Amino acid sequence: MVLVAWGLTLLGFGLAMDTPRGILSGLYRIIVEPDFLITDYISVGGLGAAFVNAGLLMLISTGMLRFLDIKITGASISGVWLMSGFGLFGKNILNVWFIILGVWLFSCFQKEKFSKYVYIALFGTSLAPIVTQIIFGLNMPKTFSIPLGMFTGIAVGFILPPLSTHMMRIHQGFNLYNIGFTAGIVGTILVSIFKSNGLQMDTRIIWSTAHQMPLAILLGILFASMVGMGYVYNGMSFRGLQKLYKYSGRAVTDFLVLEGFPLTLINMGVNGIFATVYVILVGGALNGPVIGGIFTIVGFSAFGKHLSNIFPIFIGVALGGLTKMWAVNEPGMLLAALFGTTLAPIAGQFGWGYGVIAGFLHSLVVQNVGYLHAGLNLYNNGFSGGIVAATLIPIIEAFQKEE
Amino acid sequence: MKHERLKISKIVEELMNYFFYMGATEFNFNVQETEEHFRIYCQSNYKENSLKKLEKLVKLLHCTKHEELEEYYWTLTGDCDVANELSLVGMMIDEATVRYGEGEDVEITLYRYKVNKSK
Repeated sequence: MVLVAWGLTLLGFGLAMDTPRGILSGLYRIIVEPDFLITDYISVGGLGAAFVNAGLLMLISTGMLRFLDIKITGASISGVWLMSGFGLFGKNILNVWFIILGVWLFSCFQKEKFSKYVYIALFGTSLAPIVTQIIFGLNMPKTFSIPLGMFTGIAVGFILPPLSTHMMRIHQGFNLYNIGFTAGIVGTILVSIFKSNGLQMDTRIIWSTAHQMPLAILLGILFASMVGMGYVYNGMSFRGLQKLYKYSGRAVTDFLVLEGFPLTLINMGVNGIFATVYVILVGGALNGPVIGGIFTIVGFSAFGKHLSNIFPIFIGVALGGLTKMWAVNEPGMLLAALFGTTLAPIAGQFGWGYGVIAGFLHSLVVQNVGYLHAGLNLYNNGFSGGIVAATLIPIIEAFQKEE
Repeated sequence: MKHERLKISKIVEELMNYFFYMGATEFNFNVQETEEHFRIYCQSNYKENSLKKLEKLVKLLHCTKHEELEEYYWTLTGDCDVANELSLVGMMIDEATVRYGEGEDVEITLYRYKVNKSK
């Protein structure tokens, strides 16, 4: 019910921000515009259409979980918030289906229920821009590009389940956006194939800076209501929050299963407020990609992230901005701070010092890996996070004392 | 390939890591496969004053089964010796019984059915 209410809130906000005609034409532009990083749907289709798209994706993914009779856990919450967050920059009501269809076909091939693979299907839509890029972005006749785009999306979805499960071991669950790591590698291979056939692809930045006030108000109300509701359901107290902060956050740390709904809700609201305040304090813009980053933090606050393990990552990324050539309020660095919290479990498990180092390294690595997949993997920070975690964890463990 | 037997091996690995963490110096495992289920039985000693940790173990092993989480995350079980994945083990099994008492060994019995009975 709460997931539906959140979806309706985003949908309602979108409907209130534009005329029906404006929303429909905006949705059309969102669908036909190539979605590779960084494509802000607020710029492409307008504020109304972007939030209608995000709200619809949240409702569709919630409906899918309901239809498949999935017990709602922290993973479910993170999945639907991820879908809605990226519904503001890269995933739309058309391009996600082919990846999902590919995962469904894999479940048929394995003679298993699709419900077992539903999270891989939802998270796996990070490669949805591949579909749009091939259909609308390449200089080919539509009679060729449409079936090729659909086939590529389905094929990518088909190989994701075994790949994502395998890749998990490489970073041992210390990178929360595991599919981002997997999709980064798949995207790199695909883009190499495209480029070897003479196709030119590169990243770009479509970045809106208007609409600060309505977006700040929306986020403020959304996250304050989470804290308020959690506080009420928790017996008018924040009791237990300290205990939640003691979890490392390494996958699988499902706060909904382990600590219940009220504390999870408080944690989500607190982290949402923290991330929003950070963006405003450093002078960043509230727009599709940034709100996508904030929504991802909020979603994963039901599945591993809390203030104590994300804070060091923010410090590390801010240090990266201060000591290198990027300002902390530039698009890449803002997104690095928000999505860099994929490495929060490192701070949670090994302490703040290592968290800061992880955040610092991530802020540098993430600026250089987007080129490899030409921005076709929306979870570019998950790709970078996987590389950082896979490198850092064995080194940290080598210096740990045997217990 | 569904790696059903590998999942059982990983659950055993996870429990072994846990017992070492609990200061165990001797433990025994028995794994049984029937047509209906896998049964994992283990018995271990542990350091004194670990009763609170055992209470947490009981809580984590009694997480309800979540096949969709298992399918994505199962490779993490037994793979790390600086953190545990006992809640994941709880999500991969259908039944768990944990018996322990002051000064006694801990005994754990886990069942994983071949056909999911949790729904």
